[in-house]
Amino acid sequence: MSAATEAPLLELDGLVTEFRTGGAWHAALRGVSFALARNETLALVGESGCGKSVTALSIMGLLPPANSRIAAGRIRFAGRDLVGLSEEAMRKLRGNEISMIFQEPMTSLNPVLTVGFQVAESLRYHRGMEGQAARRAALELLDQVKIPAAAQRFDDYPHQFSGGMRQRVMIAMALACRPKLLLADEPTTALDVTIQAQVLALLAELKSAYGMAMIFITHNLGVVASIADRVAVMYAGAIVETAAVDELFARPTHPYTEALLRTIPRVDEDSAGLAAIPGQVPPLSAMPPGCRFAPRCALREAECEATDPALAPLPAAADHRVRCRVRAPATAAPRHA
Amino acid sequence: MPEPMLEVAGLRKFFEVKRGFPRATTVTVRALDGISFTVGAGQSFGLVGESGCGKSTAGRAVLRLIEPDEGRVAFKGEDVLAAGKERLRALRRKMQIVFQDPYASLNPRRMIGKALTEPMRVHGVGAPGERVARAELLLAEVGLPKNAMTRYPHEFSGGQRQRIGIARALTLEPELIVADEPVSALDVSIQSQILLLLQGLQERRRLSFIFISHDLGVVRYFCQSMAVMYLGRIVETGPIPAIFKEPLHPYTKMLRDASPVPDPTRKVAMLRIEGEVPSAVNPPAGCHFHTRCPHAMEICRKAYPEWTPLGDGRGVACHLHKV
Amino acid sequence: MTESIAAVPVERPAAAHWLLQLRRAFNANATSWVGLVVFLVIVALALLAPLIAPYDPLDQDIISRLEGPSAAHWFGTDSYGRDTLSRLLWGARLSLVIGSVSILSAMLIGGTIGIVSGYVGGKFDLVVMQAMDVLLSFPSLIMGLMVVAMLGPSMGNLIIAIALTAIAPFARIARAPTIAVKERDYIEACRALGYSDLRIMAVHILPNIMAEILVMGSLWLATAIRTEASLSFIGLGVRPPVATWGGMIREGFENILDSAWLSIFPSLAILLVVFSLNMLGDGLRDAIDPKLRGGE
Repeated sequence: MSAATEAPLLELDGLVTEFRTGGAWHAALRGVSFALARNETLALVGESGCGKSVTALSIMGLLPPANSRIAAGRIRFAGRDLVGLSEEAMRKLRGNEISMIFQEPMTSLNPVLTVGFQVAESLRYHRGMEGQAARRAALELLDQVKIPAAAQRFDDYPHQFSGGMRQRVMIAMALACRPKLLLADEPTTALDVTIQAQVLALLAELKSAYGMAMIFITHNLGVVASIADRVAVMYAGAIVETAAVDELFARPTHPYTEALLRTIPRVDEDSAGLAAIPGQVPPLSAMPPGCRFAPRCALREAECEATDPALAPLPAAADHRVRCRVRAPATAAPRHA
Repeated sequence: MPEPMLEVAGLRKFFEVKRGFPRATTVTVRALDGISFTVGAGQSFGLVGESGCGKSTAGRAVLRLIEPDEGRVAFKGEDVLAAGKERLRALRRKMQIVFQDPYASLNPRRMIGKALTEPMRVHGVGAPGERVARAELLLAEVGLPKNAMTRYPHEFSGGQRQRIGIARALTLEPELIVADEPVSALDVSIQSQILLLLQGLQERRRLSFIFISHDLGVVRYFCQSMAVMYLGRIVETGPIPAIFKEPLHPYTKMLRDASPVPDPTRKVAMLRIEGEVPSAVNPPAGCHFHTRCPHAMEICRKAYPEWTPLGDGRGVACHLHKV
Repeated sequence: MTESIAAVPVERPAAAHWLLQLRRAFNANATSWVGLVVFLVIVALALLAPLIAPYDPLDQDIISRLEGPSAAHWFGTDSYGRDTLSRLLWGARLSLVIGSVSILSAMLIGGTIGIVSGYVGGKFDLVVMQAMDVLLSFPSLIMGLMVVAMLGPSMGNLIIAIALTAIAPFARIARAPTIAVKERDYIEACRALGYSDLRIMAVHILPNIMAEILVMGSLWLATAIRTEASLSFIGLGVRPPVATWGGMIREGFENILDSAWLSIFPSLAILLVVFSLNMLGDGLRDAIDPKLRGGE
């Protein structure tokens, strides 16, 4: 990453986020580090409980304060550290410079306010726009997310919209203030495949039009292949493998990534042998020592269960980093800060 | 095609729904608008489509969990819809269902052992001791330990609950299982575990499946033949290899090309599919799909295309493919 | 938001047997413990009345009429010279029996109506629930008055009257969760497995709503005891000379100016029972409700 000439827009450095369950603090993120350049789409992939959503909530400062905390690490965004920033300052940032869209377009919109009002609200709040100006700008946004006959539908309520259309409204709201960073948490998971294809196309188009960076959270490796520039595979609160999208799918190296790819029945070819990963993701409160994937890993060696490996670059490709002492023995290669 | 396990013909189910306030109007949801298909013995038949297409209603109507308005369902030649109370009870031993949501499909207040022995008790299968032994065998068959018997559903993960749901469906030794999105709510690594489990069961027990799914990849893997549904009707049916090689209906092709593939060199066709899925309350006139179809012609707006059998078990309802 | 946070394992309130559920509710709520203990003490005193009552509740002692509290008669005596404490203890038996028999029957009948109506649904449900609404629209005292006036005052008729007033609320409380539960996949699984409707209602739906019905029962028991007292007070209860709390208050009323204790002690007894039952029921409801709604 030293080759990057421009400073990254977002940089996570050793982020540790903890949750309290049963009276004890457990790390949901165990030192997550990555950098995201302007205009780049990073996909965070993993199964439920791997920490991908927690990562997004940590960046947004939306962790439930009662039972969670950022215990260590930094989140540098456009030159500022977001960890420890006041709620007031975070509020100015949220929806303005960093926006987020969620999986459930059904519950993310307020059912008693019109769609147009909700889109215009962000403009009023962050940009101080008023009356007709806000309305015009909001309408333009609805046009941009390709809501058919947006002018007629401006004063409709969310329940009059289908799931796909609601997700478009969510995107319009998220983009209202031209954010530098969009966090998309499983934005297409609840949608039908043809609608998913539309929304993915829309996001890709808007991303380049706006020059945004995007973190795309998903469990679907097919979606990753379609939308990401770079991929970080997460397991049990840590990134286990990260690489450019072509590199990752061409040479999946961490045993988990490799196994995950073999568990997907493919649409485009006959999957002769479907492989299953035995067992399940360990709960936060009962993480195995050593490599967190070791108990389910086919390549497990005795040492794996004792020491937790670091994320190390592959000799052949410095930008392809893997957390596995079997597949990517930590050589003298310098660790990314 | 082997001898049919299940034959469905002209199955229809409309729902009346009251909508609006203060003056409610009654609208008709055409959930199933005359569908026909055949499931061969020991075969898996996929029912595919997007939400609201009626595929789940179809699965439930076959089992008479929803009473269909019209049509014929024959299980090994026996008319299911005409069966009286006693015959239906007997038929239900042979036809079972596996649900999508493992958190809703088990009674939270019943121990697993009870949930598994109860069906045998109700149907008078075996002596009490035998039932427990059989339940334990079933648990082993789905990959769970014996001590699961004395636990409650909340003590299990989603994948384990799905295994329990499958074991429950097997208690009466059915021959046909309706699997309604059985892996859609599960994580990918668990999804493949369950698919492999179902596949093993199918081979060992010679089960037939109606496999309902929105995921074409899963259906391609698990089934031998399939039907694609759109707004309450089947638009295309045929053997899996043929359909995936050359989908005839434009909707089938659209579904296939929109399904994401884990390969960055084959990104999903982010096609200009403008417009939304219309609702089954008020399906478009003519071919229901014409509003989204890239090949829509004049006739498509006027007349619903007739069903065209093409041989080799294939068939399609599309004006492009008339013989 | 909730979607994303749900990805973090949080301890979900476990749903298990309804008895376990009640026990957990008790542990979560100290006031329900207090209510239960007080109520159980009252029940014990009532049960032990033949052993611990210092006098026969019907024994008249014309010499010592209308005496104030003393060492011989802790709570004083009434206009026939009967010992108030003994009459209170024996009266507790009657009040509790009338209350619990009427509420248990209301629970049984109302609960069954609610479950069946909710499960069957459709027009049947509509008609049944409208009938329940008619029942519900009578204030319980008026309803009691009507029934006793028609059938004549007796213990059995009092029980019928009180039970009638409580059927509709139980039907309502049983119906709502039945409708929610019957849509669940596991009920559909029961039908697919060929279980009879009776079995589905009794074995699969009932345990899911049992805790709520019992909570409601404890609250309505308090109401029943109050209604019994009110009816006895206006002379429509169990006939004298049998001791009931409501009857005692009325008898005391005749001498309220110079012998106030005659009404005060039975009133306090009613207050104590009602208060303990409400504490018990409210505490349990608070503890059970959020989990029932959010937990599954």
